[in-house]
Amino acid sequence: MSPVEIVLVYQSLLGIYGDRGNAMVLRQRLAWRGIDATLTVVEPGDPVPSTGSVYLLGGGEDAAQISAVKGLKADGHLFDALDRGAVLFAVCAGFQIAGNTFTVGEQDDVIEGLGLLDVDTRRGPVRAVGEILTRWKRPDGSEYLITGFENHGGFTTLGAKAKPLASVEIGVGNANDGIEGAVQGTVVGTYPHGPVLARNPALADHLLERALGRDLEPLPLPELDELRRQRIAAVRKTGTRR
Amino acid sequence: MPSSLSTPAAPASLSRTQRLRLWTAVRLGDAAALASRLAGRGSGASIRGQVLTRLDPDAFAELLQGHRVLAVSGTNGKTTTTHLLAAAVRAGLGAQAARLVTNSDGANLHYGIASALSQQPRADIAVLETDERVVSDMIAHARPEILVLLNFSRDQLDRHHEIKALGRSWRRALDAAGASGPTIVANACDPLVVWSAGTAARVIWVETDTVWHADGALCPACGSLLVRVPSAGRDRWDCPGCELTQPASDYRVDGGTVVLPDGTTVTPDLQVPGSFNVSNAACALAAAVEFGIPVEAALTGMHTVTAPAGRFATAQFGATSARLLLAKNPAGWAEALPLAASDPVVLAIDSVAADGRDVSWLWDVDYEQLAGRTVICTGPRAQDLAVRLSYAGVDHRVEPDLRTAITGAGPTVDVIATYTPFQALLKMVGLR
Ligand SMILES: [Zn+2]
Repeated sequence: MSPVEIVLVYQSLLGIYGDRGNAMVLRQRLAWRGIDATLTVVEPGDPVPSTGSVYLLGGGEDAAQISAVKGLKADGHLFDALDRGAVLFAVCAGFQIAGNTFTVGEQDDVIEGLGLLDVDTRRGPVRAVGEILTRWKRPDGSEYLITGFENHGGFTTLGAKAKPLASVEIGVGNANDGIEGAVQGTVVGTYPHGPVLARNPALADHLLERALGRDLEPLPLPELDELRRQRIAAVRKTGTRR
Repeated sequence: MPSSLSTPAAPASLSRTQRLRLWTAVRLGDAAALASRLAGRGSGASIRGQVLTRLDPDAFAELLQGHRVLAVSGTNGKTTTTHLLAAAVRAGLGAQAARLVTNSDGANLHYGIASALSQQPRADIAVLETDERVVSDMIAHARPEILVLLNFSRDQLDRHHEIKALGRSWRRALDAAGASGPTIVANACDPLVVWSAGTAARVIWVETDTVWHADGALCPACGSLLVRVPSAGRDRWDCPGCELTQPASDYRVDGGTVVLPDGTTVTPDLQVPGSFNVSNAACALAAAVEFGIPVEAALTGMHTVTAPAGRFATAQFGATSARLLLAKNPAGWAEALPLAASDPVVLAIDSVAADGRDVSWLWDVDYEQLAGRTVICTGPRAQDLAVRLSYAGVDHRVEPDLRTAITGAGPTVDVIATYTPFQALLKMVGLR
């Protein structure tokens, strides 16, 4: 069986918040389970492989967002990969460019995104900066807290085809409307970094299970439980509940 | 002493009212500093500056008058470079070294600079570490003769959302200053620095040994992807979309040496470690020479710098001798990690405002290079580091208390800390 390929897309453009951590977490969680996995880092100008199982987009500044959209549209392979069922996990600026439109610059120029999520992003009244805590309903119906750090000026609203990823307990989320992230088919967008998959292993495993089409065995890591306990306690102590 | 140095600064021109207000503010600032010292709360420099600038909001601009100013800014290396430059200038001044004032404690905001200046009213030459956010005010109010721009990289993104925004403010300030603006000494290898200095009347370019390139992917002028083209054995950057390109250098760092504009090579004999400090020294040397200091005197002066504001200092914690390294952001960690050779090594992480509240940068740092050694994770965010190290495959243990983590770690240990724990460590050992 060929190894599971994790593809980190345009790290030099969209990787400002330690976003490569999400890719490292996915690869390592497979490796720890004895599943052969590779991490492919694609830089702008290089062809995006269409063989990936999970693709990752991270945070970046305005010019980087425009450049990334241009590069991914010209390349086209990401769209092919998603057509055959690959997973895209898009964080922060990556979440915004995965949508229909987003704005950049002091003049709020509207830029067309990748159109993979039915969401639109416009400049918000305030910048959302701080620890965030959300409630994610897992496929089995159980609830899981997602902890992370959000830092975004854009506010994102969902169209009919996109569903929220989670509801906000503390923080701003998509648009200070109680909603965080978006899910549409195998595309998942979210604002928290942290990186988010390091702080929320269940979300990491969910993405892998979607990509592999099968369940993964649990991977206990007490150190991670302790980190989650600390971060959740910290944000509940200082943050303002919705 | 070279003739250019004997020129005194033009005296300050303040009205009687301004003088009186400034004098009063300085005295009250001193009183507050004394009270803070007596209460055992450190040097009092910070409280002095805050009282001073609150009582006289123009103190920063007023105190800068009557000085010939050399300013140093950039994301990393400001404090060390300021110490190197100040030492070079001091050596050049010889018997007149008292003419020099510098903010050697690293207090580089308006009030920190005002506090340092207020302490040496007779000095007329100022070597000033300047926070990136204060640079445009510095250009407008101090009319510095020389401004050193070291580098520009991601740092405290929870506060500075866009790296480019600061560069834009520098461009505006330099543009407004026009021909009377400072001579810039700038790192030619950093595209954002080159673009930020683009409106300056005169620039001396230094080709450095920059290791961090992650924030220089896109052209700051036009947004095109920058390319790297091979040139004389190493890469230079170039924009295919506009005319921005790596400028030809006046000074060039080559291994541990610096090639001067006339082609001669000198080897700075530094007591601060790391190749990045050779780059810092090259920038300090270029600034000193531009100010009129002979090369030999500048090198002699720079040799005396050992532990600028506690950086690279060795301190005793019980039976453990610890070398203290500061790393404030991924670029800083990329420089500091290869220096930390001990096993175990202590890494201290915090996330209060001065450190950046978001520790996602932990994933931008190549901790994988520590594999085979043991890391003692300490500081309030030790657990975040522990998880990062698990994923990196690096052995580690968590000891949240700083002093406990270091004491007993072994006979000698290297400690790398973010800003707040670094300051706490200096305080513990009386270096601050
Ligand atoms: Zn360009």
